[in-house]
Amino acid sequence: MSTSAAVTLRDLLSPPPSADGIDRKALAGLLVELAHNVKPEQAPAVEGVPRVDLRLDELRRLVLGREIELLARLGAVIEDPEQLAAAVGRVLPTAVAHATADERLGQVLTPAFEKATQSSIRSNPRTLINILYPLIVPAIRKAIGETIDDTFQSLNESLKASLTWRGLKWRFEAWRTGTTFAETVLKHTLVYQVEHAFLIHHHTGLLIAHAAAENAASQDPQLVSSMLIAIQDFVRDSFTGAEQQGLDTLRLGELRLWSERGPFATLVAVIRGNPPEELHATLSRVVSQIHAERRQVLESFDGDTSGLGDIEAHLAECAALRQQSTKSARRGFPWLVAAVGVMLLMLAGAGGTWWWQETEARQAEQRAWAAARQAEQRLWADAVARLKTVPGIVVTESDMRDGKFSVAGLRDPLAADPGQVLERAGVDPARVVGRWVPYQSLDPEFALQRLQVSLDPPPAIRLSLENGRIVARGSASSTWLERAQSVGRMLPAGGPELDLSQVLDPNHGAIAKLRDAIESHEIHFNSNEPLPSPGQDAVLDQLAAELKELASLSALLRVNTRVTLTGHSDDTGRGTFNLSLSMARAGVVLTMVKKRGVDPNLLIVNGSGPLEPLQSGSTDAARSANRRVSFAVGTE
Amino acid sequence: MNMMPQALQKKVCVLGGFSVGKTSLIRRYVESIFSESYITTVGVKIDKKTLDLAGRLVSLILWDVAGEDDMASFRMTYLRGAAGYLLVADGTRPATLDVALSLRERVEAACGPLPCALLVNKNDLTEEWTISGTDLEGLRQKGWWVRPTSARTGEGVEDAFKDLAVRVSS
Repeated sequence: MSTSAAVTLRDLLSPPPSADGIDRKALAGLLVELAHNVKPEQAPAVEGVPRVDLRLDELRRLVLGREIELLARLGAVIEDPEQLAAAVGRVLPTAVAHATADERLGQVLTPAFEKATQSSIRSNPRTLINILYPLIVPAIRKAIGETIDDTFQSLNESLKASLTWRGLKWRFEAWRTGTTFAETVLKHTLVYQVEHAFLIHHHTGLLIAHAAAENAASQDPQLVSSMLIAIQDFVRDSFTGAEQQGLDTLRLGELRLWSERGPFATLVAVIRGNPPEELHATLSRVVSQIHAERRQVLESFDGDTSGLGDIEAHLAECAALRQQSTKSARRGFPWLVAAVGVMLLMLAGAGGTWWWQETEARQAEQRAWAAARQAEQRLWADAVARLKTVPGIVVTESDMRDGKFSVAGLRDPLAADPGQVLERAGVDPARVVGRWVPYQSLDPEFALQRLQVSLDPPPAIRLSLENGRIVARGSASSTWLERAQSVGRMLPAGGPELDLSQVLDPNHGAIAKLRDAIESHEIHFNSNEPLPSPGQDAVLDQLAAELKELASLSALLRVNTRVTLTGHSDDTGRGTFNLSLSMARAGVVLTMVKKRGVDPNLLIVNGSGPLEPLQSGSTDAARSANRRVSFAVGTE
Repeated sequence: MNMMPQALQKKVCVLGGFSVGKTSLIRRYVESIFSESYITTVGVKIDKKTLDLAGRLVSLILWDVAGEDDMASFRMTYLRGAAGYLLVADGTRPATLDVALSLRERVEAACGPLPCALLVNKNDLTEEWTISGTDLEGLRQKGWWVRPTSARTGEGVEDAFKDLAVRVSS
């Protein structure tokens, strides 16, 4: 290195003077001294310069001091994971934002995100559910909504498209009966048939009775019924929560098994097709009725099926239930389409001859007027014809004059409003003058409605029309039965008869047996004691059990039952005291049976003091017998 | 319309250890509409055996209950309402007799004493029998009703059904 080189370096370093903190004067001096040191003639002296020249270090510090400090700081940041993480964290969002355009970022991150999601679901699925809930629920709702809409639309389309004769007939029927078209279609398509009815004993799984529809094929009903009970047991054992319930419905293709469970036996109906929900109620009613009539037999059934013809008759009634298709399912010829096609052809033809018609416009107008008048006459004739078919309406006269219509006849107050019938037939009610004389129709429907009002049947009685007769079924008190019999005798001749043979009197049969049992009990007391004398727990237990059975049986038969507990005292002591003592005795017995689980609403408390002695006389034995609580069962 | 014969019906369970020939014992002698697969799926298969007892028809509704050596898997529910039961053991395997004995204990604990018959099956293989005659005689002494049967030859099967029918319907 020469002096000139040193000068050039000095030139380079001196301008421009900057505020970078380097002591340039000291640096220049140092460099000149170094240059002198490397002069060739001074080389031997340089040889003597020590390898580690402190001046070089000084030079380094002067030139690179700031950079060294910066590098040390950076090094510390990189070495310390905490600081590095903090530093990367500050720029990560911006970096990701910049890198998003690069597809590789997504590819690189996918496995990590998948793992993170899996681990999150494993540790706490609820978090993910909470996150997804607001997204998924509207999505599901939307999807379901669309599916339903689609279904409705396709249903609607198919309904609209069914311009067959049958479709039109249903439309007409819907319009005539004032129901929607869909309801009418549903009514006609709910076709079902009860093919078999089994009554199966719960405890043994044995078949009590069976009935099948005439055309129904079947396997051995005894085997089928046991297998049904086995499957019910299987379901009950296998799935917790089903212990108390049986298997209500089974469905296999177009076959359904509906079962209705009674206290001792289950009615299983095998139904082919599409039954309406009301069928459940019908089956349930049959089960209740069979239990009400033959409770004893069902309770103690041991496999002997002789003498159960009446139960079979009930089942046969079920097996006869069906809703037949009104017509075969053959697709009809699209009459309306054909008619529209023909009309279009005619119109095309008419277009060709339009000019000719133009010349005869006046004649055409006259023809149109005549046609309109003719159409109106047809409309009126149709409307009157329809009116004549309405039950409870007898049309005696009808006329059409000067654009006004008049109609007269007899009308049962229960019959449909003739004005509405005509309106539905397309006649403007404002143009109709009607004169109706009231009368009573013998139509079975009306007779039934009138009987519903005049008989005021209790809830357990159901009146229905069967083969033109009005049949009452259920159970009712003898008072009601007597009243119903006298009303039945007064029904006009020629109309439907009232059949009361199917009404059961709750005062006979199972309730009567319970009544006799309950009324046979007495609770005895020691003198002056409101609490029963000891040793009567067994009687109270028995009594409570019978009262509970009475309550459940009454509920089953829908009979109102009340049990009166009458307290009695002996004839010693003052009258008022005896009266309150007898009342207290009845109250104590009520509490005791209530404690044994009897519904207190069933019970009425009464006290009669010494007024109703069991034994007359004033011996100790008679008095002891008179100190008691007795029971009376009343039904309504 | 009515297809049910006017007959007395009785529920009878058929129990026994694993592969004692219980199912094949009854298969050939009963009316059946269900396949064997019911035993493995539902745990029971129903068959019927109708017998004429002096002019009176008695239908035994046979509940062939899935029996395994592991007693815990056996559904006691299916015994409910049974009028009697048949126990089946395999004469060539003494362990199956032990299973039958413990099944009887379990049934008696759950349902009380019921008419019961012990059928010792595979009587056609008597030379292979390992259950001794004295064992069976001992059971008879204790009031058991024991009958050797053979599902293959049919020996004793009809009589076993008939005897049980008489006892459950009396």
